[in-house]
Amino acid sequence: MPDPLISKLKQLIVETLRLEDIVPEEIPDNEPLVGGGLSLDSIDALELVVRLEKEFGIKIATSEEAKSALASVAALGSYIRARADPSRLPS
Amino acid sequence: MRLCDRVLPEVLYLPLRKAGTWGAVLLMPVQRRHSLDYLRIALRREPKLVDVYRHFLAVCEALVLRLRVADGLYHRCELGEGSEAFGAWLASSRPAMLGTFHIGNSDLTGFMLAGQARRRVHLVRLRVGNSDDTDSLAARFGDLLHFVWVNESSELLFALKEAGLSGDTVALQCDRPDYSSRSETFEFLGSPRRFPFTIYHLALIFERPVILSIGIPAGRAVSTVIASPAFEPLAGEDRREALARGRAHFKAFLCRVEDYLRREPYQWLNFQPL
Repeated sequence: MPDPLISKLKQLIVETLRLEDIVPEEIPDNEPLVGGGLSLDSIDALELVVRLEKEFGIKIATSEEAKSALASVAALGSYIRARADPSRLPS
Repeated sequence: MRLCDRVLPEVLYLPLRKAGTWGAVLLMPVQRRHSLDYLRIALRREPKLVDVYRHFLAVCEALVLRLRVADGLYHRCELGEGSEAFGAWLASSRPAMLGTFHIGNSDLTGFMLAGQARRRVHLVRLRVGNSDDTDSLAARFGDLLHFVWVNESSELLFALKEAGLSGDTVALQCDRPDYSSRSETFEFLGSPRRFPFTIYHLALIFERPVILSIGIPAGRAVSTVIASPAFEPLAGEDRREALARGRAHFKAFLCRVEDYLRREPYQWLNFQPL
């Protein structure tokens, strides 16, 4: 059974960045989000970070943190799980 | 330069600046070439060396004015015709994305916004070796001004995010695509040319208007601000449609910029290839 947070993140990525040709389930868990197969650039990363902060009530404060958070969907999931209020996570 | 300005009367300092400008024309071959290339297009004829000198002198005079304003010289910005949206925005408390160009006294606009209208502004700038004028102006306007350096900060995106989420206004230069994540081609001075387009993406992300402006010399103590109508992000609008509106907005203002440069060609202070 897929991790609900990972599924939600994939959905958010597709929705926020309007990736029309990509089905959320097709996004690999362990591929880099920026500079990987999704071809996201720094503005996409900024837009995603702004949306994630709003959605989960977290704050990604530095580019180093963002780099590690956006390393992959799985890394993003771990990052959010460690920082977000559990009530904001999908169950 | 600053010392000369403080100790020499203008009657002596002006000829000195003019002589120094001739020196710069002769000793700066790269900038001279860029100036010639630009002037050939703007003047629609082969430029003479005196045209290059006038172009260099315009840069020198803009720099001197910035240093004088930094030292406390009274200078104000007035709104030009067709710039009502800028006035309406200034009178509001809304944050905006302000786009400007290396033209005339445009650099002063951000500072005057802080000083005259008491608006907090984040200026996205390229830090160069001789940023004394910028540093001094920043010191004069204190907490109202923040700088985001595009070529120094490894935290650029995050500085932009903080600026965007802060509720303050963010001002960006819109005529040098080198450091821009997103650029697009627009017809300008007779040919398609690349311009940074990131400002519209940021406006859509942070849901705030884009207003483009230039500040042009209008007398000893006055600059006139020529500004575009506001580009407003619309809730729920398709991103492609919003960006298409952004392109039309940018293109319309570029036409006004081009009109101005055809009349005042030496005021283009962007000494980089078009």
